[in-house]
Amino acid sequence: MARSAETAAKDKKITWKEIKRQKVLLIWSAIIVVYGFIFYYLPLGGWIMAFQNYKPKDGLLHSKFIGLDKFKFLFTDGTFIQVVRNTVAMGVINLVVTFVMAIVFAILLNEVKNNFGKKSVQTISYLPHFLSWIIVTGILHDALSGTGIINELLMRFHFIDQPINFFAHPGYFWPIVAFANVWKETGWNAIIYLAAITAIDPSLYEAASMDGAGRWAKIKHITLPSIRPTIMILLLMNVGNVLNAGFEIQYLLGNGLVKSVSETIDIYVLKWGISQNDFSLGTAAGIFKSVVSIILIVIANQLAKRAGEERLF
Amino acid sequence: MKKRRIMAVFMTAALAASVLGGCGGSTDSNSSADNSNSADNSNSADNSVPAISENSGNEDNSSSNGSGDIIEFTAFFATPGAEINDDNEIQQLIAEKTNVKVKETWLTGQTASEAVGTIVAGGEYPDFIDGGDAMAALYDAGALVAWDDYIDKYPNIKEFYTDEEWDKFRQEDGHIYWMNAFQNIYGEDKTTTHNDEAFWVQARVLEWANYPKIQTLDQYFELLDSYAEANPTMEDGTAIIPYTVLCEDWRYFCIENAPQFLDGYPNDGSCIVDPETLTVIDYNTTDTAYRYFKKLNEEYHAGNIDPESFTQTYDEYIAKLSTGRVLGMCDQWWDFSATVNDVFKQQGLDKKGCNYVPLGLTIDEGMENQWYTSGGTLNVSSGLGISVSCKNVDAAFKFVDDLLSQEIHNLRYWGVEGVDYQVDENGLFYRTEEQRMNASDTAYKASHICSYSYFPNWLGTSRDGINAMQPTEQPFEFMDSLAEPVVKCFEAYGVSTYPGMLGSVNKAGKWYPMYSFSNTMTTATPGGVAWTKMGEVKHEWLPKIVMMDNFDDAWEQYMEVYSACKPEDFISEMQAELDRRVAQ
Repeated sequence: MARSAETAAKDKKITWKEIKRQKVLLIWSAIIVVYGFIFYYLPLGGWIMAFQNYKPKDGLLHSKFIGLDKFKFLFTDGTFIQVVRNTVAMGVINLVVTFVMAIVFAILLNEVKNNFGKKSVQTISYLPHFLSWIIVTGILHDALSGTGIINELLMRFHFIDQPINFFAHPGYFWPIVAFANVWKETGWNAIIYLAAITAIDPSLYEAASMDGAGRWAKIKHITLPSIRPTIMILLLMNVGNVLNAGFEIQYLLGNGLVKSVSETIDIYVLKWGISQNDFSLGTAAGIFKSVVSIILIVIANQLAKRAGEERLF
Repeated sequence: MKKRRIMAVFMTAALAASVLGGCGGSTDSNSSADNSNSADNSNSADNSVPAISENSGNEDNSSSNGSGDIIEFTAFFATPGAEINDDNEIQQLIAEKTNVKVKETWLTGQTASEAVGTIVAGGEYPDFIDGGDAMAALYDAGALVAWDDYIDKYPNIKEFYTDEEWDKFRQEDGHIYWMNAFQNIYGEDKTTTHNDEAFWVQARVLEWANYPKIQTLDQYFELLDSYAEANPTMEDGTAIIPYTVLCEDWRYFCIENAPQFLDGYPNDGSCIVDPETLTVIDYNTTDTAYRYFKKLNEEYHAGNIDPESFTQTYDEYIAKLSTGRVLGMCDQWWDFSATVNDVFKQQGLDKKGCNYVPLGLTIDEGMENQWYTSGGTLNVSSGLGISVSCKNVDAAFKFVDDLLSQEIHNLRYWGVEGVDYQVDENGLFYRTEEQRMNASDTAYKASHICSYSYFPNWLGTSRDGINAMQPTEQPFEFMDSLAEPVVKCFEAYGVSTYPGMLGSVNKAGKWYPMYSFSNTMTTATPGGVAWTKMGEVKHEWLPKIVMMDNFDDAWEQYMEVYSACKPEDFISEMQAELDRRVAQ
């Protein structure tokens, strides 16, 4: 007790000498703090738009204050409810699918003994990460079109007689988005797990072999438990991103027919905020998204804490 | 030690400044001058490393020398367009004569309102801007310079409209903020093309059927279907597509607004105006609309409508038309003709009769149609504006004025004499076959031709009294440049121009066009909200009712969702505007 109080006091005492000694560090961190303040916190002042009837001509200071009207409009607007549903659904699907795929892929790749093969596969698989969505959607659009490779193959093997118009059916849209995410990000996401796996002490595997463990048993009892902290941290970070289910892919692949399942909150913000010039409504929708994201991440963190797992804060 | 470090910091700063100056130099001569100063200062202060600073200094000098006295403006047009090369020859010629060069940028991958919304949110505008459908947003944001004090100073601008027409451009605050660039006829009307919407059909289809009289939607589809049945593939074996529909984003008018025309009304764009009772009618719910969509539904299920219709993008649509596989579609001439006709010409498909001619269809036989409205259409809802970010407003107006002078106008549309066109002994302009080929070659156009097409331009007769303002309207030039199958088609129907094919009557009222009002609606009024929601519903449902198996069920569901948007709010605001225009 006494000792801890003593160390606490010692921690608290900041002498000029100490400051002087850490001068360079302090200056650098101050720069970062200022940067963070300017670029992350100052723009939040714009949130005030959500409570005004904002007109660019009048500016932030002279627009009319209208309280929560914009939020009321949001939550009574059927379209908004729909886009929230779409965002959550696509977010969760993407999270689960890309997450599982990355881990499975990393473990499979780790089991490859041929070093050259392993490196080649790894390199090839993470390259799509560097393509922009506009290119990926272009490829998808071509591949899935009536005369695209997918329809050609399906017809060649007599699974279907008529080409399927993939983008005309609302039912196909979410799977297509999930597939695109998996294709683009699996290789990249797997890198971090591969790194974690490399750090596992090889003697554990040797010992397991001595005890007669097969590949499956080794994966189950050594690899997975060893990378569990990494998995938990990444999961937590991704949960906060669920509402960032995407903008580009839905925007670029969507069309009138699948509008009811393709539009996300981001597209809604663009539509009302930018296209219809209702900046206030767009901001309100944006605030809603941010707040929900924060709540999600706090809940996930608390759950992790309770389960005694790694956590963010 | 310390000194050297400080010096290094200065050098880095100087380098950064000169690099920035180099980039900014082309757009803003002031900033580049400032930066070159600062670079020079650091140069004199620090003699130990002259190499870097000297280099950067040179760069700045050369960029400011190169541009000379020529003022560079920027322009943004909220419509897709082809960007021309930076060293474009005619642009350079115009710059030498007017001392102004404008870097034009166009819409890419966004809708007009998104692009304009983004610019408004950013608060920095190009010097010239045409916001298209989103023009009102620019006005609301206070982004535009009022024209009132300038119009009288510039005769060519003043001449472009009558006082009465200029007054129509006045906004709520009583000022004029933009002028529309198009559809204005100087002197005698020389119109030869139908720049607007129609049901189009390839000339070869009509030839094959021995030029029948096609008056109704049913006859039109019968023609397309029977041709496709007799000639299922192109020469290279690709399948013929009898009919396709473009539904992408704002271009969904290709499916959406045909009912107004089929009922014999002109393109008021968002409603029908009954000229007898002077009431606004919603064309989305008329019996004609029902029959039109039912027909599309039948044709779709009979396999005569391209199954990709409702998911294709504009680029895919244009690519499809350019192959010559598509027999017919409903579209605006300006939406497809430039690209598609050029490709036809370059690929020799024009000789095979792939060019499109318009048909003036109605829902029943014996009705009058108003697909074509002559005499120019004044659309006051959008046009070319000059933004408050423009630093030299007088020069900007002067430039617009210069562009309308005959000499520059000829440069813009005809090109350079002897290179792009010839003049015969009577002073008539004409083009050789090679010059015509050049005029349809994308690469040549980018490097040589600069029409500043979204700046005000004239149609009709040139100030010399003999030639047309634009080559497409020169009678001989027009006939000579037409592909042979189109000429034969015109002869067979006894007409000499595209509008002749339509046989429209011209009786649009003084309120025409109503879309110049609905285009300015915003979600600030109940009518505007209804208009937005109606658009959303139609985007989703029009393709649906064409594709669904049971049309009557589909139509019923669609009507239910549609009426939930409260279209009556929209109609009543349109009615108020109609009353205002009639009373004017």
